[in-house]
Amino acid sequence: MDPQSLITGPTGPLPAPYWFIQLFKTVGFWMHMIPMNLWFAGILIAMMGRTFGCPFARHFSHRLMSQMPILVALGINFGIVPLLFLQVGYFSFFYAATILTAWFWLSIVAILIPAYYGVYFYAFFRGGSEQGGVLRILVGWSVAGLFLLLGLLFANGLSLMVHVDAWGPIWEKTAVAGATLGLGSNLADANLYERWGIMFGLGTLTTAAWIVLDTAWFLRDVDSEWLAAYHGWTRRAAGILTVSGAILFVTAGSFYVFKTWSSELFEYMFTGIRLPLTVLTAVSPGLVFVACLRLGKKPRVDTSAALGMVLAQLTVLGLNAVSRQVVQNFQVGAYLDIGSLPTQVQWSPLISFLVLLLLGLAVIGWMVAQVIRTVRAEGKPSISR
Amino acid sequence: MHYPWWYVPHLTSPMLIAAIAVVHVLVSHYAVGGGLFLAVETTYAYKTGDRKYLDYLRRHAKFFVLLTVAFGAITGVGIWWTIGLASPLATQVLINTFLFGWAMEWVFFVVEICSAFIFFYYWGRLPEKTHMAIGWIYGIAAWISLVLITGITAFMLQPGSWIEDRNFWSGLLNPQFLPQTVARTGGALLLTSLYVYFHAAIVLSDEKLRARISRRSLRPAGLGAVLVLVGVFWFLYELPASALLAIPSAATLNIFVALLAGMTLVILIALYVGPYRNPQWLSPGFAGMLLVVGFATVGISEFVREAIRKPFIIYNVVLGNQILTDEVPAVQAAGYLESGIWTKAWMERKYPQVFVEDRIDARRLLQLTPSSRIEVGQTLFQYHCNDCHAIEVGYSPAGPLLGEGTVEEFRHLVLNLHESRFFMPPFCGTIEEAHVLAEYLMTIAQPTPEGMYFGGRQNGESVR
Repeated sequence: MDPQSLITGPTGPLPAPYWFIQLFKTVGFWMHMIPMNLWFAGILIAMMGRTFGCPFARHFSHRLMSQMPILVALGINFGIVPLLFLQVGYFSFFYAATILTAWFWLSIVAILIPAYYGVYFYAFFRGGSEQGGVLRILVGWSVAGLFLLLGLLFANGLSLMVHVDAWGPIWEKTAVAGATLGLGSNLADANLYERWGIMFGLGTLTTAAWIVLDTAWFLRDVDSEWLAAYHGWTRRAAGILTVSGAILFVTAGSFYVFKTWSSELFEYMFTGIRLPLTVLTAVSPGLVFVACLRLGKKPRVDTSAALGMVLAQLTVLGLNAVSRQVVQNFQVGAYLDIGSLPTQVQWSPLISFLVLLLLGLAVIGWMVAQVIRTVRAEGKPSISR
Repeated sequence: MHYPWWYVPHLTSPMLIAAIAVVHVLVSHYAVGGGLFLAVETTYAYKTGDRKYLDYLRRHAKFFVLLTVAFGAITGVGIWWTIGLASPLATQVLINTFLFGWAMEWVFFVVEICSAFIFFYYWGRLPEKTHMAIGWIYGIAAWISLVLITGITAFMLQPGSWIEDRNFWSGLLNPQFLPQTVARTGGALLLTSLYVYFHAAIVLSDEKLRARISRRSLRPAGLGAVLVLVGVFWFLYELPASALLAIPSAATLNIFVALLAGMTLVILIALYVGPYRNPQWLSPGFAGMLLVVGFATVGISEFVREAIRKPFIIYNVVLGNQILTDEVPAVQAAGYLESGIWTKAWMERKYPQVFVEDRIDARRLLQLTPSSRIEVGQTLFQYHCNDCHAIEVGYSPAGPLLGEGTVEEFRHLVLNLHESRFFMPPFCGTIEEAHVLAEYLMTIAQPTPEGMYFGGRQNGESVR
């Protein structure tokens, strides 16, 4: 079966310029990755800290899991943007791949509900004790497992999207008179596990940056001796997680590039303007490592050093989002040149959206400013030990 | 046709959309009405210095956030997930048409999420005025979300002048936009009162406070009821002729519409004799009964709204079986199997003998073996009919609906689908394809039950 024959065309002109679709898809994915990383790898790390860690690790675990309901909500919300722009430009690939794996794809929604309520349960339910009982810990570990599974299910659908030559065999295996039962999976594709591993490495790095950010910016405690010790733990934990995340990222990334990329893709990504992008993406965790070293051995993790680490990790995530987009464009470009699809820009809706986006950001900025003002005025610990 | 068809035995995949959508609207309407309720009532409680009521509102806000931000948001995403799987072509058209409508709605969704969390987490910490303002920001953002989404869902029932000018604003501000916005706003307010009654009945032991909440929540309920009535009549007035005729044409819809009227009346009477006349009646049982009736009313009204669009998913734009109306003549001329990307690929793999110079020669379908013809007929059924009909058992199954018949009779039925039943799409294939589909239908058609008496002869003795 010629994979090309399975590609469908547009139903009408695209409503936005190609660059606009690329921009919002990439920026949206970058925004989504930040909170998503914290639930993907962060919950597992928090549960390890809670179960096997020292009191400081337990304290961080408690803080992160208390913040998690908001992080999950923001992650889901930010995920809408890349998915929306994905469906505008990459419809032919997205719909076909997700329909062939329909039950796996739909199970994401079914699994997300208990996972999210598990997060709420963990954050709010203490069972009358300081740290909560066994049930709370079991829920925490289950939630960590569910979010790892969700990552795999996402990778299952989205890696099949660009693996067009696998569509035919998967379809035939699960077809009833040409209709699919939606039971196909892309789990045999090595690409999937490497992508999953890369994201876990990135998630570990993001958690490292979050620990530092949380300690330097959000943590308040009247007990200065305890606080100094916690700052010391923060540096050590961030260092361990940075090194672990970088190793995971480089290992999974190396397998991904050298074992799963076609020679054409390899050549494409290692020539021209893509070469510096590929190299920078590969070595970018080094930025976080350097920023982590800058935390130094001062008694406190200062806010500027923390900001450096956060910016470094945002750069890592940004480079990854751009690289992934370039790779995806190359992979789908073999079948459909999205950039050359007919376009009729809906200018007035586009401008309305941008104006509303600015207004929305201003409103959110005002609300956050009110919170900061209130917290500063209170001048007391944000979350108690 | 454009995409692989997702076959869900017995249920049919579009029914998964219905299942998730109905659950979602029960929460999403509360997300809107509840936001406005909290904004209004928090303002009232702050201004009157009613601490007891404020404490209750705080508890209600926790329930509200737990339900709407988590379950409401995920099921909303769930609808998007399922429409892409079960109705990809219509989803593609909607996203292409309303990309910036969804994007604008997303902006308000972000504002909702941020304001909901700040409103709840910083309760008692923010200055009163700021807290009230954030409550209002949530309420207004949620309502604008409803307005934008209603524009898109109403478009599916009546695109209006968009058909001619293909303009975003013509599509969004379609003839059904205002009626449905009014009805949904009313539904959100009314349903929220029922949620409040239920929540208050469960968590409050203070009878005086419960009675006060009972009385105060009558205001949004009353306003909601008026808006629902105005919106529904306006909605009916603006309906396309086919949608209006669909109601008396289908027994289920007949019953459902009567049920809707009846249940709305029950709610209004219950609100009068309960919260209005006897606010102390607000027990968990009474409030629970009201909420269940409210759920049933909203759920059924969504089902009716979806069902009356038949045979379209987007009125006059996309047919129920994933074909653009503009494509129909070309598909009928070239053949369904030939025109469908996935059907053609399937035929190429399974029956290469029907191809002549890379195209399916429909006449060759009739030269296939009988079993192969039936298999090809089944492929046509899956792609052309399974959107709305299960095979033999399940949702609106074709087998029992067909009854007894000959291949000729079924072929005639297939070729004249939309002429004999206006809520069915036209058959988008060749005569030969109609023939193989008819042969397949013969294998699933169920004989007329025996034992029926029609005056002089019993069924089973060839009534036909």
